[in-house]
This record gives sequence, structure tokens and C-alpha cells, in this order.
Amino acid sequence: MPTQDKIKVIVAKLGLDIHWRGAVSVARLLRDAGMEVVYLGNQFPEAIVASALQEGADVVGLSTLSGNHLTLGPKVVRLLKEKGLDDVLVVIGGTIPARDFAPLKERGLDEVFGPNTPMEEIVHKITEGVRRKRGKAAASA
Amino acid sequence: MSEAEQRRPLFHSERIAEIQSQTQRWQQSCLSEADRRQEGTYVTASGIPVKLLYTPADIADLDYEQDLGFPGQPPYVRGVYPNMYRGRPFTMRQLTGFGSPEDLNRRIKFMLEHGGTGVNILFDMPTIRGYDSDAPQAEGNVGQCGTSVDSIEDIAAIFQDIPIDKVSASIVTHLPSTTTIIFCMYLAMAQERGIDPNLLAGTTQDDFIMETAVGSAPEVIPPRHSFRLQCDAVEFIRQQAPRWNPISYNGYNLREAGTDAVQEVGVAIANAIATLEELIRRGNDVDFIAPRLSFFWDLCNDFFEEIAKCRASRRVWYKIMRDRFRAKNPRSYLMRFHVQTAGISLPAIEPHNNIVRSTIQGLAAILGGAQSLHIDSYDEAFSVPTEEAALVSLRAQQIIQAETNIMNTVDPLAGSYFVEYLTNEMERRIFDYVAEIERMGGLVAAVDKGWLHRQIAETAYKQQKAIESGEMKVVGVNFLRSEAASAQPIDVFCYPEDTEEKQRAKLKKLRQSRDNHRVRSCLEEVRRRCQTGENVMPAVLEAVKARATLGEIHGIYRDVFGLWQFPLI
Repeated sequence: MPTQDKIKVIVAKLGLDIHWRGAVSVARLLRDAGMEVVYLGNQFPEAIVASALQEGADVVGLSTLSGNHLTLGPKVVRLLKEKGLDDVLVVIGGTIPARDFAPLKERGLDEVFGPNTPMEEIVHKITEGVRRKRGKAAASA
Repeated sequence: MSEAEQRRPLFHSERIAEIQSQTQRWQQSCLSEADRRQEGTYVTASGIPVKLLYTPADIADLDYEQDLGFPGQPPYVRGVYPNMYRGRPFTMRQLTGFGSPEDLNRRIKFMLEHGGTGVNILFDMPTIRGYDSDAPQAEGNVGQCGTSVDSIEDIAAIFQDIPIDKVSASIVTHLPSTTTIIFCMYLAMAQERGIDPNLLAGTTQDDFIMETAVGSAPEVIPPRHSFRLQCDAVEFIRQQAPRWNPISYNGYNLREAGTDAVQEVGVAIANAIATLEELIRRGNDVDFIAPRLSFFWDLCNDFFEEIAKCRASRRVWYKIMRDRFRAKNPRSYLMRFHVQTAGISLPAIEPHNNIVRSTIQGLAAILGGAQSLHIDSYDEAFSVPTEEAALVSLRAQQIIQAETNIMNTVDPLAGSYFVEYLTNEMERRIFDYVAEIERMGGLVAAVDKGWLHRQIAETAYKQQKAIESGEMKVVGVNFLRSEAASAQPIDVFCYPEDTEEKQRAKLKKLRQSRDNHRVRSCLEEVRRRCQTGENVMPAVLEAVKARATLGEIHGIYRDVFGLWQFPLI
């Protein structure tokens, strides 16, 4: 059963954002929660998508605290689609104002995690999201 | 004769012995079994055990003159100036940066019109990492989180109508590579305005750990080259602008990234030692360089530990300058520092509570003897501050200055058994941490090996786990959470939308109107100096005067020095 596979996440700092504390801490806490995590460090969207493809990731986790979320977040989603990676869950976290949550979701980001989101919620939403995506993929197969 | 033999403790040893036995009797007769069991479980944020009660026995060896002295005199624990805030109130220096240079110019004027006494500016990520606004890497980041600077014209626009011969400017360039370029733009701009460089007062950040450890990036210059540029900038700026602090050793961002108070100060001091050794090796006198080295601390929530950190760091610096570098100029002994309150401590939930947190941290800065202060705004977790939030932060500083009377006397916590004990303990731990770094071959080697990155990641992870488990309490977030209060929306700053477009248009015009032949030959000279090891700054100054852009100059650094793989944790 594919749903029992370990969830594979790649975590990347988005573009030029310098604040790596949150991304590294969340990456380690996802590992503690039983996921397989690859931390990429800072990458531009093209490289993030190339890694997603190479790693066979279930989840792409993006982190940014410097205001590029609305531009580069949707760009990652678009490039993933172009590579046929529609079944990859894309989540983004950082200092993202509440008013940007809806526009990000409209542009294909599956989950948006603002500051102070409890780890439990992040793990739960990623697990549920992957289950949904895998279910869909199995149904269409 | 050693220092220990000359010591003259303030307390008589017989009185200390009496107090010790009285303390034991008091513990036995007045404290409950539960009280006694709890002893040993309390620690400061950096892990120093805290007892229920401190007495003279905890500082039994205290020698007033040697350990504390008088303000403006060795060992400077009580402050760097004799009259401290009576003579010179702390500078109110609110960090500001977003949008275009013109947008920033308006915000600076707003803060000065409302009683701010210094300028403190921040750049966007492409500027900090050395890309022009029209570079593909800059996409989505232009004017976000800081102001965009591409050329000297942008620096001129930021400081338009600001009396830079009177108001000091802190320019938060972060990286040495960026400092070499932006300081030259500032100097050339001042010269074009006819201002004598001898009058320029201010600070550039210029810290190689910002380039290679504290901030991550897709393209990073190797630590030893970043350190070399750091030293190039310090040396050149000392020669050109005598009132300028060429470097601000950035404990702040290191702390925010994930370290404790001891690591914060230890790394900054290890970097200062490395800088002085390199510049002395180049033939400079320690007393020419050291008087303008400055420091930058993060004041977090552990109130007394932060005050002790400020006091202890002054004594550590004095001892290093006296014993290790044999400095003679009293100004070399002074550790002067700027404080910013802890952004990392400010949650998005119930944001108005952040005014309280920041004010308490700001108060600690003044009790710790800071030279200048930025108080973070309550909307820190959302974006750069709105004008309203920035004004509240400035007002908090003005209230501390004008209404609390705490500036009337110097170092009011001196002599507190606990504060002096903690000051001694911080000093000991900072010296140990500096020694640990030196055993690895110094800070540049420690960064190159990824050691500092591991220290940061480990502390950040531990702290996050403590928040997740509730062990570290954050009111309104994981402790006493109120769903109604946390749902209240606040105004959040909106970045101007047209910055990228405006900056691109300016760049296009600049590249058409300048003498491109002159730009090319200036850039070649920068390249040549990068290769030979000569100080790059004189060539960078000529290049920015010729209207070479930040990205063009930085591109040469990346090209000559190559890129370094930022250690992944």
C-alpha cells in the first residue's frame, strides 16, 4: 500500500531569504515525526523543482521570511506542474501576513503556515495532504 | 606579581564565613522541604544555575576597583563613559528599510521629525547579497524586507536632505562584500555633496559570519575571502572617516538565528580578535584600529542575564585589549554597543503584547549601559513595521528616557549580589567559549568547518522543542492561550508595489548615461586587487563614482573568490 510509505519531504529556503532558523528546525522536527527529510538550503525555484523530481519527493516545503512568497511560491507550483509533478504537496511557511494566505492557496500552494503554527498542526496537515494526493494518484492510475 | 596576589576583597573572610553558616541555618529553618528540593532546577536562558537567594558569599572575592571600578575607567563594567546617560543619552536608532530609496527617505524623515536621534537603515535581500534589481536572482525580492540599492544614485536618494554631517547613520550592510561597496557609495555621495569625510559619523555592519553562517544564500563567498573583505573595509574606513565605526560585530543576528547569550558574545569577540590580528599583521597599530570597533547585542527575555551579559562583555573586552593586545589608547578598551530587542521573542499571536516584551528588553539594554537602541515593533512577526507600529517603538524609548528617571545614575544594579555573581559567571563562560573557538584555529576555521552552523542549528532546534512542549512559556501562544484575542486582526504593512519596476528603469537609464568605458576599467582594477590581495576599497570607491552598480562589483567578487557550499544541517 503506497499510503504506508514514509513521507518524503524536501525543505528549501526560497531564493535569497537569509533566515534559516525556522526551516532547519521544522526539517528536524518533521524527521522526529517519522518523515524522510532532505534539507536543500537556499535554492531558486528551478533548482527546487529539479530536486523534487530527483528525490521523488511527496512534499515540497518552502520557507521564507522576506516577502518573496507571493512571487516565488506560485512559481514553484507552476514549474512542478510543467514537469508533471501535480501530485506533489507544496507547503510554505514563514512571516506571511494573513491577507496573503488566500492568494497563495488560489495559486496552488496546498498549505500556508504563518508564524507560531504548532508543529503538531504542520505534521497533521502534511500527513493528510499526502494521503489525499496519494489517494487521488491511486484512483487515476 | 599576578593580579590574584594584589586582590583586595571588599568583604572580610570572617564575615563571609558567618554569612555562609547563617545562610545554611536559614535554609534549614525557614525553607520547606519542597523549596529545598527545587534548588538546582532553575537556570537562566543560557543554562547558568540560579539559586533562590544570593548573598555576599556568592561574590566573596569581589575587589571593587579591579572588578567594577568607576564608569569611564577600567575595567569599564560600570559603563564606557564617566557620566553615561547624563552626558549622552542613548541614541534612539530605529531600523528602517523597505521599497525604493525614495520611500526610505520619507520614513527616515518621519522618524527624525518625531524625535529619533539617529538613522538606521536596512536593505533588501538582492542588495545584501550583491545583485542588481534587474538580475534574475532578484525576482520577487526587490524592495521587500529592506530598501533596494543598485548604485550611488540610490544612496544619494536615501540621504536626500538628511544632514549627514550632524546625524549619525547606521548602515546595516550585513556582509563585508556589501559593506565594501555601500560604504564607498556613502563616502562618494558625501564628497559629491561637499561634506568633509572627517564629519561623517556612523556604523557599517561588515561581519563575515553574516555572509557565511548567520544568513544562508544560494551563492556564498568562502569564509576566508569574506573575512579578507571585512578587514579591507575596516582598514580603509579607519583611514578615510575617523568618526566612522567600520564594523559592528553582529551578535544580534547570530542570537536570532539560534544561539544563547554566551555564544552570541563569544563569537563576536572571537571575530574582533581575528580582525585585530589580521590588521596588525598588515602593519596597523592596534590603537589605530581598536577604538572604532563596535558591537551589536540582542537583548532577549532573561532580564538579569542580559544585563549581566552587557556588563561582563565590557570587562572581557578590556582584559583582552589590555593583556593580549597590550593596547595603550584608553579608547581601545571601550566596548561600545548597539542593542536591538529580540525579534525572535515576538509572536504573531496577540501582537500588542509584544510592546510589553520589547519595552522590558529595552529597559534591560539601558540598565546594561547600551550606547544606542532599537526597540522592535509589535508587528515584527508579520512584516516590516507600519508607521504606527514604528512610532510606538520610538515612543517606548522616549518614555524610558524622559519619564522613568533611570538615566539619572550610572549602572544602578552594581553591587547586587545576584547581578555581580551573574556578571562573573558570564565573563567566565564567554572566555571559555572564545578559547574553544581558538582551539579550532580561530573563527574563520570554525565557520569553514561548519562548526558554527551546527551550534546554531542545535540551539534553534532545542528552543523550538521547548516551545512545542510548553517547557518554554510564551504567553498567549502555548501558555494562557485565548482564542478570541488571537483572532483579532491588526494592520500589516503593505510594500510599495512598483519598486522592482522603478529600480529597473533607473538602472537602464544609468547604464545608458554613464561612461561605460570608464566603468569597465574601474571594474578591472577591482578585479586586479581581488587577485593580488591589495585592499579592494580604493578601487571600489573609483568604481562607484563612475556609476558602476552594486551587482557589477559584487559579480567580480563571486567570480574571483568563487562560491562556497553553505553547510547543510
